[in-house]
Amino acid sequence: MRLSHKLRLLSAALAPMLALTACSGGGSGSGSGGSSTGGGAEQAKITVWSWDGTVEKAVAGFQAANPNITVEVVNAGSSQDEYKALDNAIQAGSGVPDLVMFEYFAVPYFAVPGKLADLGELGVDKLKQDFVPAAWSDVTVNGKVYAVPSDYGPSAMFYNMSTLKKAGIEKPPATWDEYYEAAKKIRALGDDYYIAQDTGDIFFLLSLIWQAGGRPFKVDGTKVHIDFTDPGTTRAVAFWQKMLDEGLINTKITGWSDDWNRTLNDGTLATQTMGGWLTSTLPERAPKAAGDFRVALMPQWEQGAKTGAANGGSSFGIPAAAQHKEAAFKFLEYFAHGGGLSTRVDAGAFVPNMSVLENETFQGKANPYFGGQKVGAVLAEASEIVGSGWQYPPFFEWARSIYGDLASPFYTTGQGSLAEVLEQWRQRCIQYGNEQGFEVS
Amino acid sequence: MAPTRKRRRSPIGLAFIAPFGALFALVFIVPILYAAYLSLFQDKLVGGNTFVGFANYVKLVQDPQFWDGVGRVFWFTLVQVPIMLVLAMALALALDSMRLHGARFLRVTIFLPYAVPAIVSTLMWGFLLGVKYGLFGSLNRALGTDLDPFAPGTTLISIGVMVTWAFTGFNMLIFYAALKAVPRELYEAAAIDGAGEFQIVRSIKLPALRGSLVVTIIFSIIGTFQMFNEPQILPSMVANSGVTTFYTPNLYAYNLAFTGSQQGYAAALALVMAAITIAVAYAVQIRGLRNAPDQ
Repeated sequence: MRLSHKLRLLSAALAPMLALTACSGGGSGSGSGGSSTGGGAEQAKITVWSWDGTVEKAVAGFQAANPNITVEVVNAGSSQDEYKALDNAIQAGSGVPDLVMFEYFAVPYFAVPGKLADLGELGVDKLKQDFVPAAWSDVTVNGKVYAVPSDYGPSAMFYNMSTLKKAGIEKPPATWDEYYEAAKKIRALGDDYYIAQDTGDIFFLLSLIWQAGGRPFKVDGTKVHIDFTDPGTTRAVAFWQKMLDEGLINTKITGWSDDWNRTLNDGTLATQTMGGWLTSTLPERAPKAAGDFRVALMPQWEQGAKTGAANGGSSFGIPAAAQHKEAAFKFLEYFAHGGGLSTRVDAGAFVPNMSVLENETFQGKANPYFGGQKVGAVLAEASEIVGSGWQYPPFFEWARSIYGDLASPFYTTGQGSLAEVLEQWRQRCIQYGNEQGFEVS
Repeated sequence: MAPTRKRRRSPIGLAFIAPFGALFALVFIVPILYAAYLSLFQDKLVGGNTFVGFANYVKLVQDPQFWDGVGRVFWFTLVQVPIMLVLAMALALALDSMRLHGARFLRVTIFLPYAVPAIVSTLMWGFLLGVKYGLFGSLNRALGTDLDPFAPGTTLISIGVMVTWAFTGFNMLIFYAALKAVPRELYEAAAIDGAGEFQIVRSIKLPALRGSLVVTIIFSIIGTFQMFNEPQILPSMVANSGVTTFYTPNLYAYNLAFTGSQQGYAAALALVMAAITIAVAYAVQIRGLRNAPDQ
């Protein structure tokens, strides 16, 4: 086994990016001799992997208060790229950072095989009451907390007011029934006009299911149950199937593509039901539509109800193999909960902290891109009504990557149904999960 | 030219190849051995790493997704490589004829796409062939047609166009270099014997290209079997182009290893693909060089 260990080190050294971080990891080992007692008066240098630019802004304030801890923020790629780098570093046994950014759904993937430290041992529980409950449940796996929420994606409906007006719709649709009626009116505006686009966005479909009360994934330890036939799921899937069947959704434009930008700019795409984080990217994507867009809560399933869902968002966890866990936790607490929070919020972060969401200045701030609308107030409400009890399977990263393979034939030909796609997806998830050592049914 | 003198063997030669040998071992031999080692294990998310013997290979042989990708690159090679090489050869002959104006400029422009990174070229072609706002969109609107280069049935053809655009220049340069090596006196002698331009091409130039043709075919086969960038990037640009996570064997290996954390299985796939590629390339080499002069 010695040889294989050396080979692993070697393969890590060959990857240039890892070699870089390995250097910084090696340097930090000298201070505390590799023990995990990075706190106290000892000098420690921690490495943070993050693609959230606001985290870096909190470093100066933290170091002023903690001169013995040096923080280095590294962008090791976004999402999948970072997870790959982390998996490689853990496998190689070197270059493991002290603090890593994770999308919520990726937390169980690292937590279940024991790659993340249990933050309960570092005193995370005292932070709990300040966080949006649904966000806290996203970072809790089998009763233990493995990450601290750092930004949030409550689903909201971004709508182009002038397109809606053009179609004769005065108020944004408040229920999905109204949404359906609105979709027909917008479609009538012309060939290019649609209320929304969808080419098989699993995150959108899941947020719809989530809001309708469906809980297709149930995770208990290494037991995973997947079921797309509960009433909430069935209702959401049937609704979206109807929208697609009647040609009310643009299935030619894929999200985040150049075409998507253009349709947002010229107003032919009337709404986008997405995570609140779209607030910060929409102005970049659709500068020409400045002043046209507004934000509302997700349309509801029942008139007068108030239930929401989340779509995306992320958190920070500490790898089990990290060298300076206590120092890392100190910094995590600072930027996700303590003094660094306001700096990050000023820099545009949307966080799941009650103290921020309920803050009057945050709620009262007018956003010029959205015609002076107080966007913070809408998203704060959207955060607080997110339905609880949602779970992602531990292998969701893999599951979502193959969803497109299965959904694509349906979206291109219109043959089959979403329910059939989900059933195929379930079968593949069961097979894969069982191969990976879970008990999936 | 057959070797006339017997070369003396001297150990000093070893010192010269030692740096190459060391690097070759480090970046080539060692990773292959490591992959072979990895391919005998399965690293589960729950339960960790276990020795599974040849189970990964057995599973691979029965994996329809793997064979789907292999079939795709096989057909792609069969169609795209001949088109590209004939084009490259025609261009090389044209340049070598010395009847073109601005030959140097042409040589550079034909070669230039090769210098464009595949990622950039895919983005560029994605825009060019886009139906909504790209060139194809405009054509469709002007002609009232409904052609979509990135529909599931035509995506592979579009990728073929991209690859041909990118690599024709590279192959042309190899052919051109081979033509340059032909002694000019041969042409003179042929002209004196009364041979026309086409006869010179057929009897002197084309035979001279035979060796390079084998090389370019082998390079192209290896290149297509490793196809990765184009199918990796396309899905983020166009919707439902039919590109799956297992579109080509290389893409499949990448996704298995990095999103499915099935490193052992991915390693087995990589080794099997390497064996297939080597076998095909070797067959081409043996067939191509049979009875070849001067080889």
